Amino acid sequence: MEEASGRRSKLTIRSEREREREREREREQYRSSMLQCIFLLSDSGEVILEKQLTGHRVDRSICAWFWDQADSLKSLPVIASPTHYLFQIVRDGITFLACTQVEMPPLMAIEFLCRVADVLSDYLGGLNEDLVKDNFIIVYELLDEMIDNGFPLTTEPNILREMIAPPNLVSKMLSVVTGNASNVSDTLPSGTGSCVPWRPTDPKYSSNEVYVDLVEEMDAIVNRDGELVKCEIYGQVQMSSQLTGFPDLTLSFANPSVLEDMRFHPCVRFRPWESHQVLSFVPPDGQFKLMSYRVKKLKNTPLYVKPQITSDSGACRVSVLVGIRSDPGKTIESITLSFQLPHCVSSADLSSNHGTVTILSNKTCTWTIGRIPSDKTPCLSGTLALETGLERLHVYPTFKVGFKIMGIALSGLRIEKLDLKTIPPRLYKGFRAQTRAGEFDVRL
Amino acid sequence: MPPPAASSRYPSPSQPSGKSEVTDLKSQLRQLAGSRAPGVDDSKRDLFKKVISYMTIGIDVSSVFGEMVMCSATSDIVLKKMCYLYVGNYAKGNPDLSLLTINFLQRDCKDEDPMIRGLALRSLCSLRVPNLVEYLLGPLGSGLKDNNSYVRTIAVTGVLKLYHISASTCIDAEFPATLKSLMLHDSDAQVVANCLAALQEIWSLEASHSEEACREKESLLSKPLIYYFLNRYSYLKGRSKFQYGGVCFCRIKEFNEWAQCLILELAVKYVPSDSNDIFDIMNLLEDRLQHANGAVVLATVKVFLQLTLSMTDVHQQVYERIKSPLLTLVSSGSPEQSYAILSHLHLLVVRAPFIFASDYKHFYCQYNEPSYVKKLKLEMLTAIANESNTYEIVTELCEYAANVDIEIARESIRAVGKIALQQYDVNAIVDRLLQFLEMEKDYVTAETLVLVKDLLRKHPQWSHDCISVVGGISSKNIQEPKAKAALIWMLGEYAQDMSDAPYILENLIENWEEEHSAEVRLHLLTAAMKCFFKRAPETQKALGIALAAGIADFHQDVHDRALFYYRVLQYDVHVAERVVSPPQQAVSAFADTQSSEIKDRIFDEFNSLSVIYQKPSYIFTDKEHRGPFEFSDELGSTSITPEVSSDIVPAQQFEANDKDLLLSTDEKDDNKGLSSNNGSAYTAPYESSNISSQMQELAISGPAASATTTQSSFDFDDLLGLGLSTAPAPTPSPPLLKLNARAALDPRAFQQKWRQLPISLSQEYSVNPQGIAALTVPQSLIKHMQSHSIHCIASGGQSPNFKFFFFAQKEAEPLDYLTECIINSSSAKAQIKVKADEQSTSQAFATVFETALSKFGMP
Repeated sequence: MEEASGRRSKLTIRSEREREREREREREQYRSSMLQCIFLLSDSGEVILEKQLTGHRVDRSICAWFWDQADSLKSLPVIASPTHYLFQIVRDGITFLACTQVEMPPLMAIEFLCRVADVLSDYLGGLNEDLVKDNFIIVYELLDEMIDNGFPLTTEPNILREMIAPPNLVSKMLSVVTGNASNVSDTLPSGTGSCVPWRPTDPKYSSNEVYVDLVEEMDAIVNRDGELVKCEIYGQVQMSSQLTGFPDLTLSFANPSVLEDMRFHPCVRFRPWESHQVLSFVPPDGQFKLMSYRVKKLKNTPLYVKPQITSDSGACRVSVLVGIRSDPGKTIESITLSFQLPHCVSSADLSSNHGTVTILSNKTCTWTIGRIPSDKTPCLSGTLALETGLERLHVYPTFKVGFKIMGIALSGLRIEKLDLKTIPPRLYKGFRAQTRAGEFDVRL
Repeated sequence: MPPPAASSRYPSPSQPSGKSEVTDLKSQLRQLAGSRAPGVDDSKRDLFKKVISYMTIGIDVSSVFGEMVMCSATSDIVLKKMCYLYVGNYAKGNPDLSLLTINFLQRDCKDEDPMIRGLALRSLCSLRVPNLVEYLLGPLGSGLKDNNSYVRTIAVTGVLKLYHISASTCIDAEFPATLKSLMLHDSDAQVVANCLAALQEIWSLEASHSEEACREKESLLSKPLIYYFLNRYSYLKGRSKFQYGGVCFCRIKEFNEWAQCLILELAVKYVPSDSNDIFDIMNLLEDRLQHANGAVVLATVKVFLQLTLSMTDVHQQVYERIKSPLLTLVSSGSPEQSYAILSHLHLLVVRAPFIFASDYKHFYCQYNEPSYVKKLKLEMLTAIANESNTYEIVTELCEYAANVDIEIARESIRAVGKIALQQYDVNAIVDRLLQFLEMEKDYVTAETLVLVKDLLRKHPQWSHDCISVVGGISSKNIQEPKAKAALIWMLGEYAQDMSDAPYILENLIENWEEEHSAEVRLHLLTAAMKCFFKRAPETQKALGIALAAGIADFHQDVHDRALFYYRVLQYDVHVAERVVSPPQQAVSAFADTQSSEIKDRIFDEFNSLSVIYQKPSYIFTDKEHRGPFEFSDELGSTSITPEVSSDIVPAQQFEANDKDLLLSTDEKDDNKGLSSNNGSAYTAPYESSNISSQMQELAISGPAASATTTQSSFDFDDLLGLGLSTAPAPTPSPPLLKLNARAALDPRAFQQKWRQLPISLSQEYSVNPQGIAALTVPQSLIKHMQSHSIHCIASGGQSPNFKFFFFAQKEAEPLDYLTECIINSSSAKAQIKVKADEQSTSQAFATVFETALSKFGMP
């Protein structure tokens, strides 16, 4: 009797198990948790770190597969491997590789990897193989808080900072003195419970400081005929705030109408901007990017670059003139000009009347000018010898221009004022601006 | 104490070098395990770090599992974290030992520090050992009720993990119901978001066998719930209402950016009740378009597009609205982000070509961009080119052709060609393309030739300009098979316009042995045939050699085609001509690579991988999806239990799987190849290659000695009756000729006749000034001649050279007169060539023709 019931229960168990397995198979299809694993690879393809995110382990062999692909495929941000879809970004020689087997928004994975890279670089004070290897425990801890079960959680640096203290000199010293090297701060991750997720609860400072930086980059293309095809400014309003309590800030511009394509930090309230073009926000603590914008259709670049190449019977003459086109009112500094010599150039003899010229073995030529002297126009000139058999040059280099101007935003954007709803004691406000070359291409 | 036998079950670490170190670690850990000496945590930390770093490098340290667990009794949180990490990594492979960890994890779940409670709970749920699920229920239940939101967040995800280990346990414990109530009432946004994620997954999996789950799943998409989620974060915008209220403000929570993505994905599936509903949602979400996180922006864009699908006007406005945020994302993010966004833009452009037409400068390539971004930008430039911006875009593309990056140079030439094929006014583009040929860079020339060929197939009217330039290219400088094939095609197709076409072909044919590409050899055969039909005497010898070489060719297709040509020629030359060189017909549109249905499917899957692969997901997930899953598990387990053979087994599995995918990618490639063939290959050769394979049987049955081929190709003379040497004797006094006013001849028959018949007469007349004046409308001449019973069959040319083909028929007799008439309006001369069925009357016809022509322009 007993035996019989035992057998029956065994039977039911088996069918139960079969059904379970069936469902298991179904589940695999609809699994919604997204990323399954994150790998960090060194520039030689070695796995520096591996973080499994779900119950389905992803074997490392996927990294070997990835690394063996041809460059044209390997460089793509999204790759289909035999078993997984891979997302990758490369930062400072480290490849962040994420794997998934389900359909998901690709941009989400890529954005997330970018955040991981940013946070790590922020925590470790840079990114390279040694830094990651030295601090892999912290990296694990960070990843643990940033993503759970394959779904991104918190990527806000301020909150992470509260949960996991960054490795710094002070804590290292402390660990020597006290023997307590815990890099976990005692406080709770209050950010997740805080009413403003980007701001820690109630920071206190003896002196209150807030700085606003306008950082602009000029992207320009000058075509072969010397026409300015495209000239835009990509700008960011960067802030650094150390304010006690719960400050409510208002930042206004003198000429907000020049701005286009704005993107805001989550702290910026949308309505005030819509109605009065005023940025109203409760700032995160520390450094952050308040907004980014673009100013299009600029008429002029501050510099002109006039390259000329003539080639005949196997030799080329090069001359490049650089000068100020429209004076921004401040000194243009750190002017550089770099270009890649075409493959068919066998040797180059270039010299300049101002600054230094270097040619690297990979045929990258850089002319460091610095500032434009008042007495002469900087000029790079010389000859290029072509490979034997070539009469004329058919491939022309693109000149990349670099410069920096402190104290001015070339877009013309001006900050009018920064107001605080309640003014804390000993408040210091600071404003700065600078413009530098972004992608400034002069084609020949 | 763990039984030592357990560790010997997993004897060798995968890397031999790690073996002694691991044994070393094991004994050191064992020593520390029981110790309570001061400073022991420090030594433990060092050892743990070593273990984890081995694990990280990939050395199997599962053998120290027991010792690690023994050492885990500590208050040091870093040690705990390292231990959790280790346990999480190896528990699945050591289910027996995992039991040991349960104890300390359960204890930690009751720790007073919420962080430790959370971490322990997370680790506990991550063990994923099926026979330990019963130990999960208690900690999970209390975790969901924890007063700290951090712990609750983790507990919610834990429920989902439990569901995947054992669905029945999870359902029986009624966790879904708990999650639902948390989702609706919890004060913390992250808890709510995690509940949503977990419930979505659980209910959609349960839906197949539970009606209740099905209902619950539907209810997630109900209006109140959707608004609950959306308003929740719209509270942030509405916060100005509350912000002065102090206390109120602090109660209002916001979802973080990733949770927003989740909710937006949910909103996409929501079916709005009416248009007000749609506008409400769009208003709620509008500011999301300005979010710094690209994933949020793209998810919002998807909601907007899907909501307005049925409202055409609004849908168009949506395109306007989303344009600028998307462009911002392209230019401000990292290259990887740009890549993902650009893939989506491409999809949008296909649906709404005009949205980015005025923003083409956004897609200009910067020098430093990685080539995957440049390629997509080139595609965008191609897609948005229209009448207004083509000039600028083509100018820009031409600059890339001189780029240092050869791959991009090629792509940009292809882009110019694609634009040329899209546009009606290709005048300027043709000039640019021809300029490329003058750059004398082999890869530029190669790409350009392929394009010129495609262009000629669509716009034969440009043949004159193109052929003169192409004729100047030395075939020796062209190495790439595709380009060579294109050149050869043009030589064959335009043999009559390129004076030395037969000789170039002859040269190429003489080097048959050195031609490695079968494609080129196939084209050589066809071109020799075409050339032969146009200029038989000059080509005959070369054709003979080509057929002989082709029949002796080792490549099956080449062999078959040569044999087929040979037999067709032998059977009937006219038939051969009809098959090989039918009258040219302009290709109006090249086959599109994707059907519109597929494009719609991809659009429905906006913001997913489908977009990047430009294929709807069912194409690439169905096949590859299931297998790999099981496979990855196997791989996981084999790497945990490293045996001697383990190195080989996964490799084989990998390979097997690789093949599976290779197969499918091959298929993809094939599809691609096919479609691009549709786009660029010629119809005739492909048809004939089909025929040639059908002819295979014949080829085998019939002896094909190459020697006889050459011989017989000489016989074609007789077949064709091309006795050029026998000049016709003009009849001195022609009787007056009456022409049939209703004569009819179809163009094909005309062409055939024209080629067969020798020229019986060739003369030059002057055209009177009135006639020249009237010629500004060439149609008028055609009408005029028709009134004299001379019908026009084809005409063309531009001032000052006009060319007409006329035909006429003798009354009451089916005898045709064919005339080619070239009129030069500046010299006022007309040159005519007459061919006639009855040569004796051709002079009579010429007189009629001249009379008719002389009356042209007269009132």
